[in-house]
Amino acid sequence: MKKKISAFNICSLILTGALLLNGCGQPATTAADSTGSPGGDSDTARTVIRYARGFTIEYHDHYKLLHILNHMGEKVDTLEYLLLRKDAALPPGYPHAQVIRIPVQTMVVMSSMHVALADFAGVADRITGLGSFQYIYSPIVRSNIKAGKLTQVGLDGNLNNELLITMHPGILMASSNPDAGSGKYKTLTDAGIPVVMNAEWLETTPLGRAEWVKLLAALTDREALVDKKFDSVEQAYNSLAQLGAGAKQKPRVIIGMPYKGTWFTPAGESYMSRFLLDAGAVYKWSATRGIGSLSLNFETVAPEALQSDYWLNVGYVDTKKEITAQDERYGSFKPYKTGQLYNYNARVNDIGSNDYWESGGVNPDVVLADMIRILHPELLPDHRLVYYKQLQ
Amino acid sequence: MTNSPSGPLRLTGLLLLLLLVFLLDIAIGSVRIPLKEVLQVIFSAHTDNDTWTYIITQIRIPKAFTAVMAGCGLSVSGLQMQTLFRNPLAEPSMLGITAGASLGVAAIMLAGGNIATLYTIKELGLSGSWMITGAACLGAALIMMLVLSVSGTVKNNVMMLIIGIMIGTITLSIISIWQYFSEPELIKDYLLWTFGSLGGTSGMQLVILGLAIITGLVISFFSCKMLDALLLGENYARSMGVTAKRARFIIICSTSLLAGSITAFCGPIGFVGIAVPHMARLLFSTSNHRILIPGCCLIGTILMLLCDVIAQLPGSNTVLPINIITALVGAPAVIWIILRKNNLRAY
Repeated sequence: MKKKISAFNICSLILTGALLLNGCGQPATTAADSTGSPGGDSDTARTVIRYARGFTIEYHDHYKLLHILNHMGEKVDTLEYLLLRKDAALPPGYPHAQVIRIPVQTMVVMSSMHVALADFAGVADRITGLGSFQYIYSPIVRSNIKAGKLTQVGLDGNLNNELLITMHPGILMASSNPDAGSGKYKTLTDAGIPVVMNAEWLETTPLGRAEWVKLLAALTDREALVDKKFDSVEQAYNSLAQLGAGAKQKPRVIIGMPYKGTWFTPAGESYMSRFLLDAGAVYKWSATRGIGSLSLNFETVAPEALQSDYWLNVGYVDTKKEITAQDERYGSFKPYKTGQLYNYNARVNDIGSNDYWESGGVNPDVVLADMIRILHPELLPDHRLVYYKQLQ
Repeated sequence: MTNSPSGPLRLTGLLLLLLLVFLLDIAIGSVRIPLKEVLQVIFSAHTDNDTWTYIITQIRIPKAFTAVMAGCGLSVSGLQMQTLFRNPLAEPSMLGITAGASLGVAAIMLAGGNIATLYTIKELGLSGSWMITGAACLGAALIMMLVLSVSGTVKNNVMMLIIGIMIGTITLSIISIWQYFSEPELIKDYLLWTFGSLGGTSGMQLVILGLAIITGLVISFFSCKMLDALLLGENYARSMGVTAKRARFIIICSTSLLAGSITAFCGPIGFVGIAVPHMARLLFSTSNHRILIPGCCLIGTILMLLCDVIAQLPGSNTVLPINIITALVGAPAVIWIILRKNNLRAY
C-alpha cells in the first residue's frame, strides 16, 4: 500500500515547490533540473547565510572559516572549523580550530535531517556511515545500505570510536547540543576526525533550519548548486507565507498530544510556532519564550483543545480510533468531532521511516503549502497534500 | 499526644481532612474556576461553562480518584511489607514487583522503536494506553510468580527479602541494558513514565484500577489477624495456627495486586509506601492492623492528594511529576514525626 519512492519523486517534490511559486505569480526558478546533476563541485561561489543563526561561513583567500554558534541568552559560544583544500597549509591564527579537508568525500551522519541535508546538496552517496539504519527514507541512502556500502556506528553517546577511527570519514556530523563542546568527541578529534556539531534543531524559523544545507554546500564546494536550490525554496516559502499570513479567517490550532497528563506543545520561538504563524493560524502559545517545547498540563491545554478548529501533528497515531484508544477524553475535542485532524505521516515507507523528518526539513515550502491547504483550502485549491494527511 | 483520643476518633478526624483535601484537589488547578462553580459541577454535574465542566469531570475528578486509589494501595502494601519482613525500610517495590511492571513498559516502549514489533502490535489491534498498562500488569505478574515460587522454598522472611531485592535488581539491569541501546526519544518516553503520573487514568481504566485496589484491600483487611500474629515472630504466629508460608503467599498476592496495578496505571510512585505506614503507626500509637490498615488508607490518600495539589503548582501552567513531590513532601514529614516522637518501630 505504501509506494516506494524513487529519486523522481524527490525531484517532483522540488517541482511542486516551483509550481506553487508559479501559482503565486512569482518568477519561477527552475530548481528541478539541477537535482541529480552530476557535477557541482566548484570553488568560486560564495554563499551568504540569511536565516540560520546557528552557523556562519567566512570566505578567505585559500580557506573557508566555519563557526557554529551556540546562543545561550546574551552569550554566544563558538566552535571554529577551518575548511581547507586537500594539500593546503594551515593558515596561522586558528590554534583551536578543527581542520576539515574539502571537498568532503566521506561522512558519517547521525540524524534524518543530516541525511536530508546531504540529499539536498546532492551528496547523499557520500554518506558512509549512519548512527542507526532505522528511520532512513532517502532512496539513495537506502539502496546504499542494501548494497552494504554503509556502516552503522552507534548513536550519539554510544559511538563506536574504534570503528569510526578505522573508517576515518571526512567528517562526523553530530546532533548534540553545541555547548557539549568537542570534549565528548575528544577521542575522535584527537584521531583527526573533525566533528561538526549540527544544531539545525535549535533554529527558530523553518527557513533557518533548511538553510543548514549551505553548511553542506561549503563542505563539499557545492555553493552554486545549493544556493540556487535554496533560493527557490526561500522564494516559494516567502510567497506562501505572505499568502497564509494574509488570510482573512485565522483558525485556531492545537499541536501534539498529551502524555500522562503532560502536553508537550511547541514554544513560541520554535520553528513550528513560526510555521503556524506563516500558515495563517492562531496558536495560543505563539507569544511564549523558548525554542523547544512547553510542557503544559492537560488542564491548561484542554480549554483550547475543546474549541480549536484544527488539530495538527497529532503524533504516533494513524486513525481517529487510535486517538481515543490513547485516552477517550480526547474524543470531546472539537477538531476530533469535526474531523479536522491532520498528521504528517503521508510519506512513511515500508520500514516505518517518515519523510517528514527527513526531506520535510529541507522543503519547508512544501510543508507550509500543506499547512495552508489544510487551514485555508480556498487559498491553494490545486495543491495536493505531500507530507500531511487527514486522520480517518 | 499522651492523652490522645482513641483510634476511631482519629480516623473520623482524618476522614474529614480527607474530604477537605479531596475538594481542594478538585478546586485548584491551572485554570481558575470559582469554588461555587466547582461545587455546582460536583453536585449537579452542570454549569453554563462547558469547558469548566469538562475540566472538572474529565480531568480533575478522575485524577483525584486515581490519587485516592494510589494513596490507599501503596501505603497498605507498604505496611504489609514492613510487617511481613519486620523491617522499617521495606516498601512495595522491595519484591521487584514495581521493577517487573517497569520491565513490561520498557519492553513495549523501547522495543516499540523496532518498527517490526510496533507493526505487529498494531496488527493485533492493541494500541494506546491499554498496551502499556497490559504490559506493566504482565511484567508485574511475571515477577510476582517468580517471587511466589521462590517463597515456597525459602524458610525465613529475611532470605525472602534479600531474594526479592536481588530479583528487582536483575530486572532493573535488564531495563538499563535495553535503555543503553535505545534511541534517545524512546528513552525519554520511558523516563517520563518512570516519573509517575496521576493524570493519565480515566474512564474504563479507572474502573479496572478501582476493582484491583478494592480486591487487594479486601484481602489485606481479612489478613489483619495474620499480620498481627506475624509481628510477634514467626514462631508465635505458628503457635497461633498461622503458617508462615501461607501468610507470606497471601500477603505477597495482595501486595502484588496493589503495587502492580498502581504501577501499571500511574508509573512507579515512590516513597508513599515506605513513609505512610510509619506515619500511621506513630499517629495511632498501635500495631493493630485493624486500625493501621484504614489509617494507612486515609493518611496515604491525604498525602497523595496534597502532593497532587502541589504538583499542579497552582497558578502555573505546568505540572511536576508526582514522584518528585511525594519524596519532597513525604521525607520531611517522616523526619518531623520521628523527631517529635523520637522512636521508629518497624513492627
